Amino acid sequence: MKRVFDTQLIGPFAAMVIVALIVALTTDRFLNPGNLSNLSLQVSIVALIAIGSTIVIFAAGIDLSSGSMVALLTMILAQMLKFMGIPLVLALPLILLVGGLLGLLIGLITAYGRIPSFITTLAALIAFRGLALTFNNGSPIFSLDPALEPIFYGKLLGVPLPFFYLVFFYALAAFTMNFTKLGREIYAVGGNPAAAVLTGINVRKVQTMTFVIAGFMTAVGAILMSARLNSGSPNYGQTLELQAIAAAVVGGASLAGGRGNILATLMGAMTIVIVQNGLNLNAAPSSVQNIVLGLIILLAVGIDMWRAEISGLMWRVFGRKSSAKKVK
Amino acid sequence: MTSETPLWEFVDISKAYPGVLANDKVCIKLMPGSIHGLLGENGCGKSTMIKTLSGVQQPDSGKILHSGTAVTISDPQAARDNGIATVFQEFSIVPTLSVGENIFLGNMPRSRLGVINWKKVHDDAARVLAEMDVDVSPNAITGTLSVGEQQLVEIAKAIAMDARMIILDEPTAALGEEEIERLHQLLRNMRSRGTAILYVSHRLDEVERIVDEVTILRNGRVVRASGETEINVSDIVSAMVGEDIGEHYPKEHNASDDVVLEAQGLVTEFGVTDASFTLHKGEVLGLGGVLGSGRTEIARALFGTDELSAGQILLSGKPVRFRREIDAIRAGLALVPENRKYDGLFFNFRASGNITAASLGGLNRFGVLNLKAEAQATHDLIRDLEISTQAEEKTVNFLSGGNQQKIVIARWLFSQSDILILDEPTQGIDIGAKIAVYKLINKLTRAGKSIILISSDHDELLAMSDRIAVVQHGAIKRTVKASDLNHDDLVRASADALHTKPEEAFA
Repeated sequence: MKRVFDTQLIGPFAAMVIVALIVALTTDRFLNPGNLSNLSLQVSIVALIAIGSTIVIFAAGIDLSSGSMVALLTMILAQMLKFMGIPLVLALPLILLVGGLLGLLIGLITAYGRIPSFITTLAALIAFRGLALTFNNGSPIFSLDPALEPIFYGKLLGVPLPFFYLVFFYALAAFTMNFTKLGREIYAVGGNPAAAVLTGINVRKVQTMTFVIAGFMTAVGAILMSARLNSGSPNYGQTLELQAIAAAVVGGASLAGGRGNILATLMGAMTIVIVQNGLNLNAAPSSVQNIVLGLIILLAVGIDMWRAEISGLMWRVFGRKSSAKKVK
Repeated sequence: MTSETPLWEFVDISKAYPGVLANDKVCIKLMPGSIHGLLGENGCGKSTMIKTLSGVQQPDSGKILHSGTAVTISDPQAARDNGIATVFQEFSIVPTLSVGENIFLGNMPRSRLGVINWKKVHDDAARVLAEMDVDVSPNAITGTLSVGEQQLVEIAKAIAMDARMIILDEPTAALGEEEIERLHQLLRNMRSRGTAILYVSHRLDEVERIVDEVTILRNGRVVRASGETEINVSDIVSAMVGEDIGEHYPKEHNASDDVVLEAQGLVTEFGVTDASFTLHKGEVLGLGGVLGSGRTEIARALFGTDELSAGQILLSGKPVRFRREIDAIRAGLALVPENRKYDGLFFNFRASGNITAASLGGLNRFGVLNLKAEAQATHDLIRDLEISTQAEEKTVNFLSGGNQQKIVIARWLFSQSDILILDEPTQGIDIGAKIAVYKLINKLTRAGKSIILISSDHDELLAMSDRIAVVQHGAIKRTVKASDLNHDDLVRASADALHTKPEEAFA
């Protein structure tokens, strides 16, 4: 357990708590049970997709495709439910499969075609959005299935279901990253691919696997997106990929690969959503929300990069204070 | 030519790194019009001196005098302004730029408007190259040149800035015999024009030919100052190594008659032309040869990294075929690569992750890694190999080179490999750590493991090997008992390659 809850979580956890405190103090509705359960609904989609984005980042890749893939998968799901008469119990596993296969495709092209993931997933970002538009003449499809909505809005013991999805998938991800061969190999490939080759790790296979995981988690997010709005639309998921990457980065994952804790990504996602929630509660326009999100990302990465300088500065500041006292 | 005041002088320069006093009151006088050899083993403090003189770092104490006046060389630009040019061992050229651009990088001739004067760049570069008698176009993209040519471009940079003091750190490591001769002629010309030259090299035969005076460092101290040492190889070696040379190589002979590995006529498309040899149980087989002779490539062929286009590998008499590294690892082979920083270590892992990386399958119990077993094994190996205990808690980037190297070797102890290929296992680590590696080699062979040792340190190779296979142009020319060879034989045997086929030295 020491391995799962390590010191890398302290920073992101502190950031989350500080942000929550500020929002709680500046608004009176933040701690309402209604608002808190709304918060877990809001964070769920981006936080689930961010699991995949983070694991790709651990292996020193990047996944820009998830937002468009959400749109594409909601359209495929809508098509299956509305026009093809495929029952929900069959459609949902199929969507998870399609998500995994799209991830596999991206992974194979990236790892075996030796094309940087920034490029393959950028291409996918553009192409998937276009592909989503080829369904239903590019129009959204509404009122898919009455059984769909409870997947997102349902509650168990008074707690929204997405909360349980988060617990389940983050526990699974934390287990995979910390206690399985695959998790260790992902960190190894991200840390030093050349050394990974010489230790017999199948680097390309591991890289491909990270994109399969990302595609699968994106499909989970897409199902929740469809359930939330009981529809599919080629416009869903805009900038979702960037929010997912932001969650990873605010959580302290190194874009160079090999370093980071998956649970910190959940905290990163929470931090971002709490800030958005606080701005909402204070009736800030969406333009301000985006500006603030940008600043948070900059600050989170900045604090990470300047860690040595900051601690040096603290040392000097406190050192001076104590010596000044001695002089007095 | 030689005047009485040194152009540059170090007075009692000291420099400490965490845990090491790299330079301890070093004094040196660099005279104009003189080629000064700076010698010593790896880790003796040569690089530290060079870095200080070229402004890369500041000394902790002591003075630097320029023509008798104390100066501070605050950064590399200041060194350049003071007329000091440094040709570092690790190239500082930009491969995507042209030769001309590289020669004037950071120093581009510009017109009054601040626009780069390309004609002058081209003409001046061409003039410098012609002066050096190097047949390379100033417009050629540097990365497309051979390693030897790139090295010459590096030297051209120093010449182009008209430096009065030139520092050359292992300038000939990548050069063929003809290029070396050309470089030496160039240095003699510069000497006659009054340039001071500091020449660092491991190749003592070459030093003997070119230098006017030598300073020898050992463990950060000057053990022989210029003028005290005759310039002949055996004197220099004994001064460099010191008196306790016997203890440096605590060789044990554990070789048996059982052949564990046999290579028959190995050929790859990546530089192995004909490699045949046998390896016995408990034996250390040294691969001797010059840089680029194909030793590392033979290691890659054995380890399944480079595909064999001909030939066969037999393990205990049975033919095997390694399609990739994991096949070789499963068959009991291990490779400790030449550059532990590049492809040896995972700097994001602590000792444990590094040690178990090649045998995660063995830690796997029903899909879960047995982290307790990993921690225990790591703990035991850290104790057995006398690795710093910090390695248990900290990621390996915080450890010294010697500890890092032991961790890479520990990886293959954990995987219980029987045949270890050690490529330059003692490069860049201090004497104490080297001896620890030698003792480890003994321990391994005593346990019946076999070792293929690749080393550019001839003395190390001679002392630690049971037999030595001489590699030239990717082929093993002959295999002899290490005790039948001496240092000169090995240098000559390796260098023969350069005389027989000089044109291939570029390849």
